[in-house]
Amino acid sequence: MVRDLDPDDIVLEISGLLKRFGSTTAVAGIDLRVPRGSFYGIVGPNGAGKTTTLSMATGLLRPDGGSISVLGHDVWRDPAGAKRLIGVLPDRLRLFDRLTGRQLLHYAGTLRGLDATAVAQRSDDLAAAFGLGDALGRLVSDYSAGMTKKIALASAMIHSPRLLVLDEPFESVDPVSAQNVVEILERYVAAGGTVVLSSHSMDMIQRVCDRVAIIVEGAVPAQGTVDEVREGGTLEQRFLSLTGEHRNAEGLEWLLSSSD
Amino acid sequence: MASEFLRLRLRQFANAGQLGTPQLVRVIIGVVYAAAMTVLLVLVLIGLRDAQPDTARTAVVLGGSVVLLGFFVVPLLFPVSDRMDPRAFSLFGFTPETVARGLLAASFLSVPAIAVTIVGLATVVTWSATVGTALLAVVGAAIGVVTCVLAGRVSLSISAFALATRRAREAGVVVGVLALVVLVPGLVLLVLGGGTEAGGALGALESVLGWTPLGAAWAVAADAANGQWVLAVLKLLIAGATLALLWLGWKGLVALMAVTPSQEESVREHSGLGWFARTPSTPTGAVAARVLTYWARDPRYYAQLVIVPVVPVIAILVFLFVGIPVEYTALLPVPVMCVFLGWVVHNDVAFDNTAIWLHVASGRLGLADRIGRTVPVVLIAIPLIGIGSFLSVLFADQLSALPAVLGASTCLVLTGIGIGSVFSARFPYAATRPGDGAFTQPQSPGATWALAPGFSLLGTVLLSTPSIVFGVLGVFADPEYAWVSLWTGVGVGVVVAMVGIVWGARIFDRRGPELLAAAQRS
Repeated sequence: MVRDLDPDDIVLEISGLLKRFGSTTAVAGIDLRVPRGSFYGIVGPNGAGKTTTLSMATGLLRPDGGSISVLGHDVWRDPAGAKRLIGVLPDRLRLFDRLTGRQLLHYAGTLRGLDATAVAQRSDDLAAAFGLGDALGRLVSDYSAGMTKKIALASAMIHSPRLLVLDEPFESVDPVSAQNVVEILERYVAAGGTVVLSSHSMDMIQRVCDRVAIIVEGAVPAQGTVDEVREGGTLEQRFLSLTGEHRNAEGLEWLLSSSD
Repeated sequence: MASEFLRLRLRQFANAGQLGTPQLVRVIIGVVYAAAMTVLLVLVLIGLRDAQPDTARTAVVLGGSVVLLGFFVVPLLFPVSDRMDPRAFSLFGFTPETVARGLLAASFLSVPAIAVTIVGLATVVTWSATVGTALLAVVGAAIGVVTCVLAGRVSLSISAFALATRRAREAGVVVGVLALVVLVPGLVLLVLGGGTEAGGALGALESVLGWTPLGAAWAVAADAANGQWVLAVLKLLIAGATLALLWLGWKGLVALMAVTPSQEESVREHSGLGWFARTPSTPTGAVAARVLTYWARDPRYYAQLVIVPVVPVIAILVFLFVGIPVEYTALLPVPVMCVFLGWVVHNDVAFDNTAIWLHVASGRLGLADRIGRTVPVVLIAIPLIGIGSFLSVLFADQLSALPAVLGASTCLVLTGIGIGSVFSARFPYAATRPGDGAFTQPQSPGATWALAPGFSLLGTVLLSTPSIVFGVLGVFADPEYAWVSLWTGVGVGVVVAMVGIVWGARIFDRRGPELLAAAQRS
């Protein structure tokens, strides 16, 4: 599904982004342009730099070079202005999980400057949308992995951001819940919001995203609409061709030696 | 019928063998501790037989009152799940009276109840100088022991029934920690006072407690042994009435619980915001509510507070040992506790571990973060300094030193907050991770681990030096200096706290990503 988007109306612009950890270069000069109203997928193999890129884009990790701006606010020169516009779902970072679901939503909303009435109203709406109504009184540390993702996603959306940056939002979420999350995100995009998400699942990206960027070894060899990127094949085929030839299970012959 | 309850209780004991190893270890430690305490107390009570009757009375009545108070208060402050909940029997068609009696009988089969029974019987030995006092001691001890067990039983049910909601439990724990922080120095001072005036204050306390439900049962034989038979009979009446009223209350509670559905779910839904509903809905208020919630819910924070009363107790024992008189040592506990109380904020950010990303992602939260985190410390410091300073100068019998104790204590807490606010933003070091055991030692790479705690503590004391020096002059030279100490202390404290918070906030805003990176490494 490709929506009619103005290619010059850019919400998130990343140019020349650079990040080194010691002697290894995690992100080597990435350029990305995410138009307003797009459902933008970022795919890549493990360790390609997806999380590093998204952390820098949301102000959680300081880049070594390049620039990132959200609707004209530079994330690293005007952090307050940019962060107001972004909702973040990081991967593998803790939540304040000794709070109940309701308290966590309240906390996330209040830190973003919402008043108590607005937070209460939106918490109820989000809980209903994500199917978390019964769980709001329980501690987040008692949630299942999928519910934890959902409460974190709800916390990311409570201040009605213009841009949602979601790192692996579907990981450990069951298929029914994943579909539920996709529908919520689609409604958000239809209303003018912009979603950037990373995922391991090519099928998911191909199905729900309209634009995609492939990250391999800290660079972006292909980006554009899903149709442009997959070049007639499936997204998975293009992905495998870009990440180097499909590795055979060579050297594992002993694993197959069930004949003797 | 009661035999069925007893058999059920025995079955539960037998099943303890099937617990997992860690639980079993805990049970065994508990039993060994109780056995050791029991033996110790029995020996003390036997030894008191040959002591002055008046001294013996003071010891027995005070000790007995503390034990009875403990039976009633401990289940309220540290709720455990009640394995003999009256509600569990409501479907069997027993009358409340049967359940009440059966559960009371079963309550005697518990470690604390067995311990108190043995210790209670040992008081008979204490008063065995004549047959008359020994007989009265049997009656008094029986009433006392049953009252203890019944009080524990009632309080366990109250905590399971009335304090079933999360909010009530949280409040209970907060009260418990506050009580610990305020009571421990109080008790130390009490013991100090008792040591010098040969039981003057303790004797006065005993004569009051002996007339209350807490001490009456233990005072019966004690008064008789001191030749005050009329008082003994009066106190026997008080003890008997206490037991009768407690029994009626227990029966009523069982009957009430049987017909009252559990209120946990509905209340929890309504009161789901906890502290968040009671603080202003601003970022600062939210941080304060979050930190208060964590202090109440996360054992890592209590573990950190344990040091607060422990250090002064050790310090004072050392000072007494080297022979410094009470009128000076009694002034020390509150300021020493304030040093460590203010200091606990110095690594607060590290306790959040990577969850701190939420503060980094939410924009410029530095100031809100810094101020919010100091709120629990301030809430503990106010009663600690207010009540503690008064108690200190009363026991030291130096009312003129009050401004000095107030000034030095306030200064130490506030400078601790100011310096801690800078350190926790600039030099976080590895702390116990969320969910790990509260006393687990974290992996700690880097030199800041060794330097940050020491320097923040040293800085706190150095900045408070003027107030402390004036305070010392106020005690030893001229009481006028005590007032100088107060004004210097409050002035320096407020300035350091404000500068520290603002500076820490700027560091936090600038170095948010680095704080997160440090948390990810630990």
